[in-house]
Formats: sequence, C-alpha cells, structure tokens
Amino acid sequence: MDTVLTTMFYFWISLFIVFFLVQRGLWIFSDVAKGTVSFMLEKALGPGSDLVEGRPGSGARSWILQGTLWLILGSMFTFTSMWLSHDPNALHSLASWGFVANADELASAGFYATLYGSVSMLVIGSGFHIIPKLAGTELASETNANLVSFVWTISVLILVIGSQNNIILGVEIIPLGTVVNSVALLAVILNQLLTVSNRTRKMALPGWLILIALLSNPLLSIISIISGAADDSVGQWLSYHLFGGAFFFAGVAGVALYASSIASGNPLWSKTLVGVTLFGTVLTINPFGDIHGQMVMEAFGPLAENNVVAFSNQDMLAASFLMALVSIPVFAFASNMLVTMRGSDAFVDSPDYPGNAELNLGSWLIVPIALGSLFVQTDTVSGTSELVGIADSLSVMAGWLVLVPLSLGAALSLYPELTGRHLFSNNRARWGYLMMTGGAIFGLSITMIADFMDMALVEMMVEDPSALSEELRKVGSVMFYGVVIGSILHSLNMVTGIFRGELITADSVKSSSISVESYSLVTSTTVRKILASGANLDTEVIPTGEDDEKGSATKL
Amino acid sequence: MSINTTDSVDVFLQGEKEPSGSWIFIVIGFVFSLSFLVLYSILYPGQDLPVISDLVPVFSGVFDSGIWFFILGTMIGIFAILGRLLLEATSE
Repeated sequence: MDTVLTTMFYFWISLFIVFFLVQRGLWIFSDVAKGTVSFMLEKALGPGSDLVEGRPGSGARSWILQGTLWLILGSMFTFTSMWLSHDPNALHSLASWGFVANADELASAGFYATLYGSVSMLVIGSGFHIIPKLAGTELASETNANLVSFVWTISVLILVIGSQNNIILGVEIIPLGTVVNSVALLAVILNQLLTVSNRTRKMALPGWLILIALLSNPLLSIISIISGAADDSVGQWLSYHLFGGAFFFAGVAGVALYASSIASGNPLWSKTLVGVTLFGTVLTINPFGDIHGQMVMEAFGPLAENNVVAFSNQDMLAASFLMALVSIPVFAFASNMLVTMRGSDAFVDSPDYPGNAELNLGSWLIVPIALGSLFVQTDTVSGTSELVGIADSLSVMAGWLVLVPLSLGAALSLYPELTGRHLFSNNRARWGYLMMTGGAIFGLSITMIADFMDMALVEMMVEDPSALSEELRKVGSVMFYGVVIGSILHSLNMVTGIFRGELITADSVKSSSISVESYSLVTSTTVRKILASGANLDTEVIPTGEDDEKGSATKL
Repeated sequence: MSINTTDSVDVFLQGEKEPSGSWIFIVIGFVFSLSFLVLYSILYPGQDLPVISDLVPVFSGVFDSGIWFFILGTMIGIFAILGRLLLEATSE
C-alpha cells in the first residue's frame, strides 16, 4: 500500500478508537482514570499550582490574551520577512550582535508565532470556555489551564528561537520546542477529557470539532513515527497537511461555529453541515499551507530525514482525490457560518460588535483561498510545479485571512463572557479589523502579483530580476504593516478592556443558542429576544415568579 | 470704595481626566523643535549641531534601512501594551 493511504488509514482507525473510548469510557477503569488525571492536573503540580489563579474563566482568559499578544510577534516576523525579500541587507547591522536576519528563517518564525502562538492559543483558550458550556459542566481544572498557557508560550518561544538557529550547544532546538509543546497539549487534552467525562448533557457538534482537533495532534505524531511517514518525503507532506486539517481547521471551525451563534444571537443553522465539516476535516487532506513537509521534518528532528518530495503514481492519485474532497467540508462550514450570522431577521445584537466582522471575513475568504491552495498543491503533487512561485504568498494568506480572523473573531465574541466586561473601545476594534484586513488583503495580493511576474520571467528564462517586481514587493510589505498595527490595536484594546471596559449587564449577556431546551422568563420580553437566544418552537418557557413573603435573617 | 470680587480658592486644583486636546501641544512642540533644527543648518551652513552631531555617527550603519521606522513603530506599540498593564496593575 502507498504512504498516503496507509497513514490515513492508521489515522482514521486510531481516531475512531479514541472517539469510541471518549463516548463509552474505560469500563471499570473510568473512575480510577478520572481520579488519577484529576490528581495529575492539580495536586501533582505541587507549589506550581499556587502561581496562578483558578477562578472560573481564568484559564480561557489567559490563553486568549497570550494568543492575542502572539499576533503582534507573528505579524512582525512576517512583515520583516516580506521586507527582507526585496531588501536582504536591511537588518545587516544586527550581525554585530550575532543575529543574521534571513527572509526564509523569519518567515518560518512568523509561521510558528502565528499558528502555534496565536491561532492555537486562541482556539485552545476558546475551547476551555466552549466545551464546559456545551457539556453543561465546569472546566476540570482552571488552575492547570492557566498554568499550562505559560508552558505553551515558552514552547512557542523555543520554536521561534529554533527557527533562527536550530542547533544551540549541540542541542536541536525545534524538536525540543515540539516536546515542550506536546507536554502542554497533553495537559490541555486531559483537562478537556475530564471535563467531557463530567458532562451533564449531550455535547453539541462544535464541541466535538474542538475535541477532535486536540486529540488528532498527538495521534498524528505517533502515527507519523510508527508508520514511518515522518521519515518519508511524501509522509512529511501528508503529516503537515493532516495537522493543518485536523488540528487547525477543525479547531478553528469548532470555535468559529460556536461564536457565530454567540455573536449574532441566532441559532446555529444546520447540525448536518457541522457533522459534514467534522467528518470532512478528518477524512480529507487540507490543501492550506506549504508545498513541502519541512515543518514536520524540523519538528521530528533526528527521527526525520530531509528528502526531496517525490510522489509515486498511487500517492499522487490518492492525495489529489482526498484533497479535492476538501471542498465539501469547506463549503459546508462557510455556508453554515454565513447563514447563521445572517439569521432569520432575529439579529438582536449589534452587527458591528467586535468579532462579527472577523468571522464574516474568514467565512467568505476560506472558499477562494481553499480553491487556490487546491490548485497549487495539486500542481505540486502531480510534479508539474508551475505554480510553486505563489505557494508562499497563498500559505500566508490562508493564515492571515482565514485562520487568524476566524480564531480572533471567536475570541473577541467570547471576550465579554470571559472577562465580565466589554472591550475597551468598539471603535478601536473596528480600526484594528480594518488595518488587519486591509493590510493582509492588499499587502499579500500585491506580493502575489510580484510572484506571478517573477514566475513569468523564469518561464521566459530572463535572468535579470524585474525592477517592477521589486517595487511591488516593497509596496506589498509596507501595506502588510497594517496587520502589525491592527494586531497592536486589538491587543491594546483587549488588555485595556480587562481593567476599564464597560461592565456587562444582565441585558447584554449572550448565551449559546446551540441547544436551548428551556428559557427562564424573569421579566417581560419580546418574542424576538426569546427566539434570538436560541429558543425554538419546542423550547419550554418557564416563568420565574417572585415571592412576596416577608424576608427574615438567614439562619447559619 | 471697594470692589467686590470673588475670592480665590487658595488651594491647588488639578483635574482627574486628561483633556483630549493636550497632546496636540506636545506634537506642536516636536514640530517646532524639528523646524528649529532645520533652521540651524540654514543659518549656520557647514556647522555641525552641538552634541547631536557627535551622537549621530554612532548610529550610522545601524539604522540605514527604512525597516527600522516600522520596527520602531512596533516597539512603541508593544511598550504601550506593557505600559498599560503596569499602569493598571499599580493604579489601585
């Protein structure tokens, strides 16, 4: 059997077994496992658990704030790499400090900071809020969630340092960062599994999307090593794209679908489409990202060799077919998001509220960027390699115009519930959105035009670089600086909002409208508001009466 | 004959909130100081600026690309966030 199908087969089987175990428990060992995990998450940490607070919501808040701060570094590294692509000596003065800035290495640092620092932290942080809500329980350990966020940040710092200099004092830095990252992720998974095991009701599908995203990461690592995919060029490419689909896309889709309901006040449009998205992310190959498996090779370090990507005929067919199928979950996700946000004339919350615009943007742009990525990846898989020149720009686009807007939009939507306050300024959030979106769309589109020009010159075998292409890259990088400014505005807005944001009142509290079985009617309200909270015709409206009896002192 | 006027409060008064227009005067101050620096080179051509002319060569070859203006902007943004965190943490 070929590499693609073998690895995919192992992945599907192992994910099914894990899913089955999560649903059914571990038979007579369930209670023992729960007790052990609970001990590991809190008591086993010793004095470490005293370093952070364990108030409800503090774990999610910590992850989301750190994820937003990583946006600044991610955008800054990406901007610097874009600048150095047209002016390679711009930072040569830093060589006197021992740092030789290189466009490719900075782009790699940008990927680590954006994907692992920002997108992952925003998804995991939102997940810490969403899964307990959907499971009708509390998070198993807020203290552990809070503490592990700092371990994750340290792991991303190690990865960023490793992208600049992979060997320090004879130690490979990126594999070291991957190990620290895996330990942090394991703690997150155990925390969420323990939370899910305490569920009091059936969990809605967006929660499963987040859980599958978390579980797929270590499963894929183990499968890549066992099946030998980590040491094979095609296997590295495949592992990279499976990580992209099962971990990043599924996680982002889960939090975005939940947030689309929260942000708009509308019930999630279709459960079937969420199911299609869930199965699609696991069963297909996501085309977003690089055309090689360099990141996987770096992550596995000594376990992976550097090979040139060369697909066999069988691999080519299987990969092309499974990649083409990705349009099913992508369309299902985008349509579900857009229809949910549009609603059925029951949009009670302000459409201008922070988070809505980002969620809309990501939902619109995922379709063209997925199709573009599909063309580029199919071109690579088939060995034609005519579109290789635009692969990097398209990969950055997928990050900054799909994954970041969706994860950031979800985090912004959940912000009031997590902090008890609104953002400091809606106007600043709007400017942040405009700067980020404008910078990413125009900056990356102009860079892509320069890529096309260079590709045309290479095709005509012109050796001299085009001056116009250089100028376009310059303009593109300067425009991308808007993303850096937007990231700073968002971070400042969120940090300031924690201290000075307007306190949320009972009227402005939003609730998930994914599964509302009963609605407590405290005061008179409109049918529109009841429907907008997620109630449907089968929802039981329970009037909560007030007691007129004379009160007395509470007996202790 | 005496004129009745309102007595002075005789205490120091300071508003709690910063007026929104105050930063304009700081910017005007910067613009004026920059224009005076330009004026200096017009009035005394060939004459180096005191102190500054000694400092500038120290940085020659360091900030010789436009990218430094952008990096400076980002650093200001990051310090604004850190400053806000410290300010809010110590304000109570």
